[in-house]
Amino acid sequence: MVKAIRGTLVKCDASIKAMLVDIDSKNNNEYIIEELDEEHILVKETKINQLKARLNEASCCMMKTHLKEPESSDSDS
Amino acid sequence: MPPKRKAQTAADAEAAEGWEEQDEGPMSDQETFDKLKDEFDVKAMTKRARMGRVKDAATDLFKKSDQWNAPLKPDHHNRPLWVHDAGGIILESFHPLFDEAQDFLINIAEPQSRVSRMHEYQLTTHSLFAAVSVGHSSQEIIEKLDKYSKTALSNTIVKFVEKSTSAFGKAKIVLKNTLSYIESEEPAILQRLLQDPIVASCRADATDGLIKQAAPKIGQMAIPGTKLAAGANQMAQQPQAAPKEPAPSEMIASLREDDDDDEVAQVHSFQIRSEERERVVKQCREIGLPLTEEYDFNNDTANANLEIDLKPHAQIRYYQEKALSKMFSNSRARSGIIVLPCGAGKTLVGITAACGVKKSVMVLCTSAMSVVQWRAEFIKWSNINPEDIAVFTADNKNSFPRNAGIIISTYSMISNARKRSHDAEKVMNFIRSREWGLLIADEVHVVPANIFKKVTYEIASHAKLGLTATLLREDDKIDDLNFLIGPKLYEANWQELSEQGHIARVQCAEVWCQMTPEFYTEWLKPSSTQKRALLSIMNPRKFQACQFLINYHESRGDKIIVFSDNVYALEKYSRKLGKAYIYGATPQQERLRILENFQHNDQVNTIFLSKIGDTSLDLPEATCLIQISSHYGSRRQEAQRLGRILRAKRRNDEGFNAFFYSLVSKDTDEMYYSSKRQAFLVDQGYAFKVITRLEGMENSENLAFATPSERRELLMDVLLARDEDAKQERIEGDAFGSNYASNKTKKKGGVRRAAGTLSDLSGGQTMAYMEFNKDRNKQLKGTKGVHNAFMRKLANSSKKKPS
Repeated sequence: MVKAIRGTLVKCDASIKAMLVDIDSKNNNEYIIEELDEEHILVKETKINQLKARLNEASCCMMKTHLKEPESSDSDS
Repeated sequence: MPPKRKAQTAADAEAAEGWEEQDEGPMSDQETFDKLKDEFDVKAMTKRARMGRVKDAATDLFKKSDQWNAPLKPDHHNRPLWVHDAGGIILESFHPLFDEAQDFLINIAEPQSRVSRMHEYQLTTHSLFAAVSVGHSSQEIIEKLDKYSKTALSNTIVKFVEKSTSAFGKAKIVLKNTLSYIESEEPAILQRLLQDPIVASCRADATDGLIKQAAPKIGQMAIPGTKLAAGANQMAQQPQAAPKEPAPSEMIASLREDDDDDEVAQVHSFQIRSEERERVVKQCREIGLPLTEEYDFNNDTANANLEIDLKPHAQIRYYQEKALSKMFSNSRARSGIIVLPCGAGKTLVGITAACGVKKSVMVLCTSAMSVVQWRAEFIKWSNINPEDIAVFTADNKNSFPRNAGIIISTYSMISNARKRSHDAEKVMNFIRSREWGLLIADEVHVVPANIFKKVTYEIASHAKLGLTATLLREDDKIDDLNFLIGPKLYEANWQELSEQGHIARVQCAEVWCQMTPEFYTEWLKPSSTQKRALLSIMNPRKFQACQFLINYHESRGDKIIVFSDNVYALEKYSRKLGKAYIYGATPQQERLRILENFQHNDQVNTIFLSKIGDTSLDLPEATCLIQISSHYGSRRQEAQRLGRILRAKRRNDEGFNAFFYSLVSKDTDEMYYSSKRQAFLVDQGYAFKVITRLEGMENSENLAFATPSERRELLMDVLLARDEDAKQERIEGDAFGSNYASNKTKKKGGVRRAAGTLSDLSGGQTMAYMEFNKDRNKQLKGTKGVHNAFMRKLANSSKKKPS
C-alpha cells in the first residue's frame, strides 16, 4: 500500500542544509523526508515550525560556544 | 608649621592638608589617593555633573554624550568639531580648518577612528598628559578647543582638562650628569612630592626618611635660576618668586625659543638617588603626579659622544619630522611612543633620533632577522662607522670597541633568564654596566609589560623611544606602556600618508567562500576547536578561491604573499599549488634563499608564510596579500599583515593598488573573527569590500578539488590530521619564543616526542591511519629534498640569467 506524507520543500544554502540534516539526525530523523540535492530538502509539513525553531536555537548557540578571544599569549609565550 | 605658608597658592594649601593627614597616619593617605584617582576619571566627572540634569525620553539613546542643551555658536559652520561630555571629539575632515584642527587634536587626544569624512578623537588623561609633556598648557588647550568647537565647551570638559593638566606632566625626572633630578616649573608641585614619605626618603641628600624632617628640606630646593641658593629662608622666597614667573604658556614659548638656554626659564628641582629612581617614579604615579622622563643630552658630559649623523641623502619626511619634533621639543630627549604605519619609515625615525642624541644607543627588536635589517639601515642612512654598531644575538656577541656605540639586540636576548654562555654574559655585563643615551624599542606593542620592565631594569637608559604601527593589544596591557616608556608622542594618519604616496594604496576585500556540504557536515559535528578551524581553513572552495586569486594576480605580474597561521594548511596549500613556503621550522638558509628568489626571480611570484612573516619582514616587492587563516580576532595581526604590502615598491606608479584579500569560510566562526579583525583598519579609514562570488572562477580550469571524490579525499586527510597539526604554530624566532634568537633552530634535526598508545604504535588501530601518517612524514622529507633541489636550480638559473 502506498503511504503518502505531506511535505514542504525547503530551499536553502548548502551549509544550512548541513545544519538541518544535523538536527534531523540528532532527533531520530523526524523532520526530513528526503534530501533532494545540495540545496533542497523535503520536510514533513507538520514539523516545519519546530524545525525552524530548532535551527534558530542551533545557530545561536553555535555562535556563542565556539568563539574564542584571541590569545594574548602570542606575545607571552 | 610657619604661618607664612598660609599665604601660598591653592595647590600649596592642598599640600598642607596632605601634611596634616599624614600626621594622622598612613591610612588616610590611601584614601586621598583613591579620591584622586576617582576624580581623574572623566566619566565619573560627567556623571556627577549630570546628576541634576533634566531627562527626557531620548536621553538614554545618547548615553554619555547627550548634548541637547549645548548652545550652538552663531558661526558654527566655520568651526570644524564637536566635543561631547564624555571627552569624545568629532571632527569634520572636509572642513577648511581640518588640517589645523587635526594637528592640534593629535597632540591632545587619542585618535579613535579616522574614516574618510569624520574623525573621532577621545580626550583621556594619558593624552592630556602627553599634551602637557610636549608643552601645551591647560589654558591653551581649552582656548583652542573652544575656538574649534561648534558648541560652547561644557564645564565638565573644561574642568576635566584643567584637572588633568594641572596634575599631570608638571614634574619631570631629568638625568643630568648621570644624576637624577626631579624638576618642575612650580615649586608647589615639588613640595607636594616631598611630602610623600617615599619620595622624601629617596632624596639624594636626605639624612633620614622621617616625614617631620621633610620641611626643612624643601628649603634646599635647587632653582637653577638662582644657582642653588640654599637655606631655610628660601622657603619664604618661593611665594615671591612664583608671581615673577611668566604664565605657563609664555614660559613654554620661551622654553622653545631659547632652546638650550635653561637659565632663563625658572625651573625648580631636587635631586634623588639614582638607584631609587624606579621607586620614585612609581610613587609619583600613585599620588597622581606622574613624572615625565627627559634627558638633557646636550649637557651630558659624562657619557661619551657618538660620531653619528644622517647622511645628506637621507630625507626626513614631514610626518617623521613632526614626530621627532615632539620628541626633541626643548632640546631634550623625551621618552615616548611614536606610532607610524608599517612601511612609513619607523626605522628612519629611530635612526634620526639616535643622530639627535649622539650618545650610545641600544636598539631592541623582535627577531634576529630584524636585527640584521636595523644594522643595515643604520649603515645605509647614517655615517656611523660600521665598527661602532655591535650586534648582540645568538650568533653574534660583540660589543663596540670605542666608548660610545650602538648595540642592536632582541628583547629575548636581554630578558633571557636562563644561564647564558660565557660570551653572552660578558656582553650583558657590559650592557648593564654602562649608561645608554637612548633606548629604541622596535615593535613595542608586542612586548609584555613584565619583559619590558625587566629590560628597563637591565639597561640604564636616559630616554626611551618606542616605535610601533599598531598600538593595540587584545588585552589591556597597552596601558602599561604609558608608564614603562612614556606617552604616545605622535600618531600618523594612514589615509593621509597613502594619499601622499608614502605608503601604498590598498584595496581590501573579504572573500566569502561557501563551505562545501561535506565539510560543513563535519564542521557541525562536535569536535575540538582546532579541528573546526582546520576544517574551515581547508574548505575546498576556499582553496579554489585562493588558487584563482593567485593565478589572476600572477598573470597581472603581482608578487603575492599568502598568510596562514596554521602550519598544516600552509603546507597543504603550498604543496598542492607548488609554491615555496616558510614557517617557523624552516632553516635560516632556506628562508633567505626563498625570500631572495621571491624578490628577484620572476619565476617565483608567490610565497606562503606562516605567522613568522607577520612583522618586521621587509618585502617591498610584494603587492598582493591573501590571508587564508588567522589568529582569531586579532586586530593587530590584520594590521601588521597589511603592513607587508604598504611599502610596495611600485606604489607610486600611476593607478597602482595593492590588494589585500582575506578568505573567509561562510557560516563558520571565521566570519565573526574577520569582522572583529577589521575593526582597527576600518578605524584607520580602510574600507573592506565583501566579495561573495569571484567572477569567472567557475570557468577557470585546473582548479584543485573540482570533483567530489577529490574533495572527499581532502576531507579524509583533514579529519585524520592530528590535533597537533591543527594547532597554532608556536613561533620560534619571533620575539616571543626565544628560540630563533638564541639559535635553537637546530632543534629541527632532533627527536620529536609525542604521546601515543601502544596499540597505536603496533598498528592495532586501523591500518589506514598508521600508514597514512607515516607516509605523510616520509613524503614531507622527500619533498623537502626535492624542494631544495628545485630552489637550488632556480637559484642557479637566476645566476645564469644576467650573463
